[in-house]
Amino acid sequence: MATIARAAAKDGLIAPWVEWERRCTQGRRLLEAGTYALTEGAIAAGCRVFAGYPITPATDIAEYMSKRLPQVGGYYMQCEDELAGMHTCAGASLGGLKAMTATSGPGYTLMHDAYGWALTNEIPLVVVDAMRVGPISGITGAPGQGEFYVARYCTHGGNFETIVLSPSSVQEAFWLTIDAFNLSERFRTPVTILTDQVVSDMWEDLFVPDDYDALDFVVPRKHNLVAPFFPLGTADLDVPPNLVGQGTGVCVSAYTHTEEGYDIEEMEAQWAQTYRLVNKIRHHRAELARYETLGLEDAEVVAVAYGADARTVKTAVREARRRGLRAGFIRPITLWPFLDELFARDCHYVVCELNYDGQLVREVMRAAPDKGKVHFMGKSAELHTVAEVVAGLEGVARAGRIPELPYIWTEVR
Amino acid sequence: MALFKLEKRAPKGPAGKWDVVVGEDMCKACGFCLNICPVDVFAWRTTANRLGWFPMYVAKEENCVGCMLCYQICPDFCIDVAVKTGSRIDSPTVGRGGAPTPNMKIGG
Amino acid sequence: MNKLAAKYLRPSQIPTKACHGCGIGMIENWLLQAIDELGLKQEDVIFGTGIGCVGRQTFATWGGDNFGATHGRALAVATGLKLAQPDKKYLIVVGDGDAAAIGTSHLIHAARRNLGVVVICEDNMGYESTGGQFSPTTPAGYVTNSSPYGMVEPPFDPCDVVQAAGATFVAETTATQWHQTVKIVKKALQNDGFSFVHVRFPCNENFGAYALGTRDTGKNLEWIYEHTQGRKADGSATDFTWATGIKHDVSNSRPEFTKILRDMNARVRAKAEAR
Repeated sequence: MATIARAAAKDGLIAPWVEWERRCTQGRRLLEAGTYALTEGAIAAGCRVFAGYPITPATDIAEYMSKRLPQVGGYYMQCEDELAGMHTCAGASLGGLKAMTATSGPGYTLMHDAYGWALTNEIPLVVVDAMRVGPISGITGAPGQGEFYVARYCTHGGNFETIVLSPSSVQEAFWLTIDAFNLSERFRTPVTILTDQVVSDMWEDLFVPDDYDALDFVVPRKHNLVAPFFPLGTADLDVPPNLVGQGTGVCVSAYTHTEEGYDIEEMEAQWAQTYRLVNKIRHHRAELARYETLGLEDAEVVAVAYGADARTVKTAVREARRRGLRAGFIRPITLWPFLDELFARDCHYVVCELNYDGQLVREVMRAAPDKGKVHFMGKSAELHTVAEVVAGLEGVARAGRIPELPYIWTEVR
Repeated sequence: MALFKLEKRAPKGPAGKWDVVVGEDMCKACGFCLNICPVDVFAWRTTANRLGWFPMYVAKEENCVGCMLCYQICPDFCIDVAVKTGSRIDSPTVGRGGAPTPNMKIGG
Repeated sequence: MNKLAAKYLRPSQIPTKACHGCGIGMIENWLLQAIDELGLKQEDVIFGTGIGCVGRQTFATWGGDNFGATHGRALAVATGLKLAQPDKKYLIVVGDGDAAAIGTSHLIHAARRNLGVVVICEDNMGYESTGGQFSPTTPAGYVTNSSPYGMVEPPFDPCDVVQAAGATFVAETTATQWHQTVKIVKKALQNDGFSFVHVRFPCNENFGAYALGTRDTGKNLEWIYEHTQGRKADGSATDFTWATGIKHDVSNSRPEFTKILRDMNARVRAKAEAR
């Protein structure tokens, strides 16, 4: 497999589902919404528990799950709030069933305690956060990308890494959900699918394979039944998750713990536990790289965007090329761990994201060789239009800065 | 514990037929067993245990009438009381970080 | 270590972190008796706890599988676990903070759903782990670390809350009622539904020191006894009396929550196959 640096020079998509799509030939072609794709992807991956609370724009996932899960012998739980939802998912996963919840920003912040509990106890599970504009409830039916950092720092206390993926089409949402479940099993950690109101609600062409049992790329649930339950001080992948309910004697808690799982208050234990939680992800970054690029080999200005926003931004890059500008495009699909290597090229970057405070742009500034060449085009409540992104790219290429455009924020402080 | 001692009517068997064991290394010297025993089986040690408490010990086992009040009231799982069978009760005391958990399989 | 502790507990966690004279270990001893008398093995029972004294001092003492959830959320985790492992017995051992304050919502909904778990709410009438602040079960007027002028909020009894929500077994005892507690916990474990056992117990370090004026273990246990019986040694009445005993018992009369879901699944799949 090509290293990340060399692959970035070509156009194309780096993701495991490129191969999966080629192999899956038997299936149905539907016109469906992103929420449907996210649900079917989870069922295909073996998800058998959904515990959550309805919230726009993720509510349809709850409704689809309430219909689908009983059909496959799974359980739909509508909990009293999102805290309960995520804790119930963690309990179900601990008991041996793959579990998922889906929410939006207001619910995601309520899940932080539970997220941390699942993280520290290495419990696999998938959380969909369909972002909308904020802060707080904001505009209920409008897209946003304000949880970029929240998804990385999704619990308190530090000493952890997170895995966050973001799809930009309905078809991609289907495959990416299977990928998220696979990663959560292999890395023994919750995985966030950070999507937005547009990907969730829009209807697009969707191919769904007929026979989910025949999908040999789904990582099945296995269990670890012997001590040590937490291989502290190691960064190994593919350690099977623990299981509560078969009398293995495992302890699962909120505290810094020993290999057996009970609480301990020693520096040595804190170091060893953190070593595992951080390095099991950092040492395997190559396994986590998913992204899309266009025209990077000769680009003088590169547009960066993710999620639904990347759709119009990519079109803008093509339009800019058509007008003679050497424009390039980077769409990170893995948001965390952040793919620093994609930004090694010394050129101008125009970061388009659906927030005004500037989040993705700060990571690009950190990763790029010259942060003075990183420009911000923030917008909220609507996707960037092709015209304004083209204007931004041309402005940077010709005058080194983004021109004044209505409702486009360019300051990063 | 005046009212408690006055009113607690636990069934009592004949004295002298009971084995009583106190896990002195686990005792936190709350004094409940000593206070509640109707026949003064227990007394305080004069040297401290590993935890730093002066624990209870079985001073007059022959007084025990098997009412089991001490067994029920001990907050630290220290006390065992049983009818004498000829062999003593085996009540191992283990400390934190000590013996492995029974029934737990250790992987390779 | 007594025989039942040697049979069921995790030796590396004994002696526990509990203070001397704390009622938590007493109650756990009685839980072991109930478990043993029902013939349950270590692998049949899962302990779930929360945060605070009751959570922390109970967590990991059980030698079998156990979890210590975040504050107030033990029942939410137990709900998920019960979905996946419905045949196990669940003992959710939580304090008054976990059950009657931060986690009351989950308590109400688990009772409403008739989730098949036994909640042992061990109540020392305050947040003793954080030093002795008042809780929703602190008796009215009592001085604590955060009610220096006397507790002005009216307390409530979580038994009333769960009974109103639909619990099928509700009982209350105190730390001077071991035989009753063992009997009641056995009954609770035999209810295939939501059981709530509320046990009041003494805290010497904080509640004793600040609310009762002494850390003397004997005096504080006597205070519990007095308020269980409703009278003091000199014959006078106590300021209040706890109503102990089985308060509500409709065990096994309503379907258990996860069974409802499994039955629904069977109906849905039978219908699909019939087509």
